[in-house]
Amino acid sequence: MDETELRERVDALLAEHPPASTQRMDFLHARFDAGLAWVHFPEGLGGLGLPRSLQTVAEKALYKAGAPDNDPRRIGIGLGMAAPTILAFGTDEQKQRYLKKLWCGEEVWCQLFSEPGAGSDLAGLATRAVLDGDTWIVNGQKVWTSSAHLADRAIMLARTDPDQPKHAGLSYFIVDMHDPGVEVRPLRQITGEAEFNEVFLTDVRILDSDRLGDVGEGWKVANATLSNERVAIGGGAFPREFGMVMNVAKAWRERPDLRTPETHERLLRGWIDTEVARITATRLRQKLAAGVPGPEGSAMKLSFARINQQLSALDVDLRGDEGLRYESWEMRRPTHVDFFGRDAGFRYLRAKGNSIEGGTSEVLRNVVAERILGLPTEHRVDKDVAWKDLPR
Amino acid sequence: MDMTLNDEQQAFRDLAREFLDREAIPHRTQWDRDEQVDLAILPQMAEIGFFGLTIPEEYGGLGGDYLTYVLGMEELGRADSALRGIVSVSNGLFGKSVLGFGTPAQKQEWLPQIASGRALGCFGLTEPDTGSDAGNLTSRARKDGDDYVINGQKLFITNGTWAKVALVFARTSDPETQPGPRGVSAFLVPTDTPGFEAREIKGKLGLRGQATAELFLSDVRVPASALLGEEGQGFKIAMTTLDKGRVSVAAGCVGIVQGCLEESVAYATSRTQFGKPLAGFQLVQELISDMSVDADAARLLVWRCADLIDRGEPFGTAASKAKLFASEAAVRAANNAIQVYGGAGYVDEYPAQKYLRDARVMTLYEGTSQIQKLLIGRAETGVNAFV
Repeated sequence: MDETELRERVDALLAEHPPASTQRMDFLHARFDAGLAWVHFPEGLGGLGLPRSLQTVAEKALYKAGAPDNDPRRIGIGLGMAAPTILAFGTDEQKQRYLKKLWCGEEVWCQLFSEPGAGSDLAGLATRAVLDGDTWIVNGQKVWTSSAHLADRAIMLARTDPDQPKHAGLSYFIVDMHDPGVEVRPLRQITGEAEFNEVFLTDVRILDSDRLGDVGEGWKVANATLSNERVAIGGGAFPREFGMVMNVAKAWRERPDLRTPETHERLLRGWIDTEVARITATRLRQKLAAGVPGPEGSAMKLSFARINQQLSALDVDLRGDEGLRYESWEMRRPTHVDFFGRDAGFRYLRAKGNSIEGGTSEVLRNVVAERILGLPTEHRVDKDVAWKDLPR
Repeated sequence: MDMTLNDEQQAFRDLAREFLDREAIPHRTQWDRDEQVDLAILPQMAEIGFFGLTIPEEYGGLGGDYLTYVLGMEELGRADSALRGIVSVSNGLFGKSVLGFGTPAQKQEWLPQIASGRALGCFGLTEPDTGSDAGNLTSRARKDGDDYVINGQKLFITNGTWAKVALVFARTSDPETQPGPRGVSAFLVPTDTPGFEAREIKGKLGLRGQATAELFLSDVRVPASALLGEEGQGFKIAMTTLDKGRVSVAAGCVGIVQGCLEESVAYATSRTQFGKPLAGFQLVQELISDMSVDADAARLLVWRCADLIDRGEPFGTAASKAKLFASEAAVRAANNAIQVYGGAGYVDEYPAQKYLRDARVMTLYEGTSQIQKLLIGRAETGVNAFV
């Protein structure tokens, strides 16, 4: 199928289910069944087996016709992480059972990976899954779980064999978040909000048919999930003067009363750093497109964390007294991070997470040192020891 | 050079730390969430002597030297900068102004109340349009018979809503004929004087446990005996007091750095990742060693100021250096502490994020880092770059 045929298919969908007179969910079901949900997925699973690049053709045509979308921001973890993993490792029955409701947003997904004792060292996680007949009984605690309070399902890593070295004893499951053993508590953070949750798992029951990949293969499956996350993060191209610097430069232009020589110098330094990072991102995307994936993404994330923190600090300094006001400490549970709709103090505090979340700056420096610069690897004492014998 | 603390200094520091570890640190997270410390701790703090440090015993104070005072401020900064601010303003900015420039009657009236914690004082200098530029403040005090009638507005006044008395800076000169610092005078204004209103400012980035207020003065009438020092001496009083205030802020910042260091060491040695404690990773040791060097350097700069003050030497430039370095170090240390804690550093149950939010204002108030650089630059070059 080429682009023209794809457009015809979109037109046919719109003719058969006019957006103006069709219920939103009915339209989304029809779109999924027509293979126009994610065109790079296989036929019968919401796709047409087309190149991923053609997805934007369908999206644009549907948007133009006023068709409802599946509110992708609300179901980002399902779309970006759960779906590709289910596609790669799921059984036919799992794919049929989960993908349609996931894409249509009828089931919200979250991701149960990180634990209080397993942050940077994810493979050291301690949540246990023990097989009892055809059912796994799961006990443990997860943390940093976005959307857990809204979620119907979760992808989860748990330890199924503590006698194996840590990477080898893990398995990957699909969890029903409505199981009575699942308890979700908000995790209030530096900004006063709770974007994340703690999730307590007490005798949660999971049918063996809800395991993704083989027993003991959890790390391999999780890596597929995480590399999809990185693809999603490394996504679109950035315009010049984007993100945090845009905001500070705008204040600088609009508010001559705020200007001082010192802040001017810091703004220019931040502008240049941002531009260098932007051009590096473009180069990285070109290499990825040419099929040369590399660890440069780690260097990028390292740079953006630093730039975000420096520029958000400048943002606060630049605004003087006003920068120290904070609109509200009320504990909210936002569905997404609104960097630019909030005040400078919020951006300053939220940016503190940038050097921690998704790989700390220290872990990323190790990646750069070992995989880009070829320096000797960090001394690892924990790779070949049974997980149960590791210090914790 | 002897840098050992004498028995009294050591004893006060131990007492202060033991008290704050027991009575403040377990509650600071909740106070921060509530945007108010539990005011019941203030009389207990007064009993330890925090509000009476450097105030002579004849006025009900603890006496003691300035080094003891900065030791107290460091311990308060380590525990909770909101408490440090309450003491710094009441005992420091208010109390030291009265002690330095008050008449015997003014000292007798206010210092025993301040030293015992029965009353808090506040310091009404900053105005909405004059932050770093205090010499051009616009509040007016007009002579009317034997009284003064004060009108104006003040902003970011710590203790404003809790204080029994405010030191209010207002212009007694005609701004047309005599603008600038020499027309400013200082007044001791009881906050229950008709026309005096304080409104709390909620929603601050840090120092959430202390009350910060806007003051509105509408035809506030005070007797001539409320004038502190002489007419036109207000700016000098403010600047003299703020020099010491900078030492106090700097000492509080040393406490922030020290607190970040201690919390980071405790966490890095107890949490294991990749089969070894966090402290076993070189990049984590870098974060911790930077904090350790900053703690020592900042503390030495602060102690030098205390030593100069105790010997009656000029200390203004030394205070600027201490305040500049210690406040910037506090922000660095708090950032490092968050990084050592990782995700936990980002959660409001752990102390790192509070240290950061509290540290943030330290580089701004009582003279921004930029102002300190101009003061130090002027002292070094003899050239005034203030515009």
